[in-house]
Amino acid sequence: MTTNACNEALIVLQNVSKRFGDNGNGTTAISDVSLSCSAGELVLLLGPSGSGKTTLLTLMAGLIGPSKGRVLLFGREVQSYSAGELQHIRAHRLGFIFQNFLLIESLSVLENIVLVLRFAGITGSQATGEARRLLRQFSIEHLSDKSPLRLSQGEKQRVAIVRAIANGGQLIIADEPTASLESSQGLQVIELLRNLARSGNRCVVVASHDQRLVEYADCVVRLRDGSIEPLEARRGA
Amino acid sequence: MTNYSFRILKAQPARTAFTIGGVALCAVLMLFLLSVYRGVADGSVEYIRHNRTDLWVLQENTTNILRGSSILSTGHGNLLREIKGIRSVSPLLFVLSAIRKGGRGSTVYLTGYDPATGIGAPPRIIQGRTIRNDGEIVLDRSFAAKFRFHTGDFVSLKGDSLRVVGISAQTNMFVIQYAFVTLRQAQSLIGYPGLVSCYLVQLQEPQSASSMKERVRDEIPGLEVYDHDEFLGNNIREMQSGFLPLLYVIATIGGIVLTTILTLILSMSILERRMDFAVMKTLGSSHRFLGGLVYGQGLQISLAGCGTALALFFPMIRLIETISPEVSTKTSIEQVAGVFLAVSVMSGVSSFVAARKLGRIYTLEAFS
Repeated sequence: MTTNACNEALIVLQNVSKRFGDNGNGTTAISDVSLSCSAGELVLLLGPSGSGKTTLLTLMAGLIGPSKGRVLLFGREVQSYSAGELQHIRAHRLGFIFQNFLLIESLSVLENIVLVLRFAGITGSQATGEARRLLRQFSIEHLSDKSPLRLSQGEKQRVAIVRAIANGGQLIIADEPTASLESSQGLQVIELLRNLARSGNRCVVVASHDQRLVEYADCVVRLRDGSIEPLEARRGA
Repeated sequence: MTNYSFRILKAQPARTAFTIGGVALCAVLMLFLLSVYRGVADGSVEYIRHNRTDLWVLQENTTNILRGSSILSTGHGNLLREIKGIRSVSPLLFVLSAIRKGGRGSTVYLTGYDPATGIGAPPRIIQGRTIRNDGEIVLDRSFAAKFRFHTGDFVSLKGDSLRVVGISAQTNMFVIQYAFVTLRQAQSLIGYPGLVSCYLVQLQEPQSASSMKERVRDEIPGLEVYDHDEFLGNNIREMQSGFLPLLYVIATIGGIVLTTILTLILSMSILERRMDFAVMKTLGSSHRFLGGLVYGQGLQISLAGCGTALALFFPMIRLIETISPEVSTKTSIEQVAGVFLAVSVMSGVSSFVAARKLGRIYTLEAFS
C-alpha cells in the first residue's frame, strides 16, 4: 500500500482497487491505492498511457465505485450516496475538464456555461449574468456567442475551465487538460489551474502524462500499472 | 432546454425537414380520413336528420334505409291514416337506378317523395330549386360535378327524360349519391304504382311517439316502427359499421408509421449526440433534463409537422374535391384539434421509447 496525504481532505482513498470484468478474464486497473486530496491543492496523477490515471480520476469523482477499499468523497463513502445524491454532487460541487474539452457544439460558448449553471440550479438572467461574469473574468467574453467549432484549441480549453468552475464546486477533475494544446498553452493552462486551486480554495486533480507539470503540482501521484510508485514528489506549502 | 432541443434539430436540417414532412403527411392522412368520414356521415344520414318526423314506418325486420330494403304498399299508408291520433302519412320510395346522358352517368339512390308536402325533400338545395312536378330531378352536387350535369340539362332515367332543376348538398354517401324525383316518377320507373319503401308519420298533439309505435305494431302486422332518433341512430350505426373499421385500420397504420418515424429519428439523434449526453450526465444533468431534451425535440417536430399539415390540408382537399367530386369532406376545429392531440400523444410515445436509450449512456463515456 502506498499512501499520499494532504490537508483538509475532500477525497480520501483507502486501499482502493478497481477491477473490470469477471474474475477469470478481468483486468485490474487500480490496485491498493490510498491517497487523500485537500482544498487549495493541485494534485497531479502522473503516469503513462494505461497506468490507470483516468480510472483513478473517475473513482475520485464518484463516477464508478471501487471493487475493494473505500472512497470517501466530501467526508462520506461514495457507495453510500444514492444516484440522485451523486448527480447533485456533480452538479453543485464538482467541475470537470475533459481531454478533448467536450464542449457542446450545438450551443454557443455562453450557453455551454449557462447549461452547467442550470444543472446547479441557477437559471434565467441570473445564469446568463453569472456566465458572462466568468467569461469576462477569464478575458474570453468576446467568445460568448461563438460556436465551440470556431474556437482555437487554447480558447476551447479556457472555456472548458470556465465551465468546470462555473458551479462554484470545490473539486475540479481534469483529464489530460494539456494533451490537446501546444506546449506553451499547456503550461499556461496548468498555471491557471494551480491559481484556481490556491486562490479559490479548491482541490484540482489533474491526470496527465506530461512530466513538465510536476513543478506546478502540490501533490504528485505517480502511477504505473494501476499502482502508486513508491517515490512521490511533494511541493508547495 | 427548448433552445438546445431546437439546436439539435437545426444541426440536421435535411433530416429534420424529412421528419417534419413525415409527421405532416401522417397528420394530413388522419385529417383527411376524419374529414371524409364526417362528409360521408353527413351525406349518409343528413337526409334522415333533416326530414324530422315522429315515426318512421318500414317493412318488418328493416332497421335502416342505407343497407336495407323495405317494401310496403299504398294500402299500408291507408291503414296508417285510419289510426286515430295520426296527423299525416307521407310515403317515400328508394330505388337504385342509373342516370345517363351522352354516355355519362352512374347509379344513384333515387328517392321519390311527394313535392306537395315537401316531406322527404333534399336537406339543402345549393343551386336551382326542388322538384315540383314529374319529369324533374334534383341531383347531388358531387354526382353532378363528376358527370358534368347542370341545372337545365336533360338526363335519361330508364328511358324517361328528366330535367335537372336543382343541385343538392349533404346527399353524398361516398359510394352512391341521392337523387330526388316525385314519388309518382319513382313508382313508374319500377312499374309498380302502389309500391313505397317507408312512411313518415306525424302525430297529432298530444300523442306520444312511444305509445303510437305500439299501437301501429298491434294494429298493422308486418311493420317496423321507429321514432325519429331511434331510426337516425340505426342509420348512423349502419353507416359506421361499413366505414369506421376501414377508417380505424388506415388511421392506425398512419399512427404506427408516424410513431415509428419519430422514434427512429429521436433515437438516431440520441445516438449521434451520445457524447453530449454523456458529458451532460457527468456535469450533473438530471435524467429529467435529458429526457426533456428528447421530449422537446419530439414536441417541436410534432408542432412543426402539425403546422405543415394544416398548411397543406386545405389546398389538398380543394384539389381532391376538384379531381374527384364524389369525395365530399367536412372539417371541423374539433377534428383538427383531435388530430393534433393524437400527433402529440404519438410524439410523447416516440419520445418515451427513444428516451429509454439515455439510460444506456454512461458518464464514463466522457473519459473514453
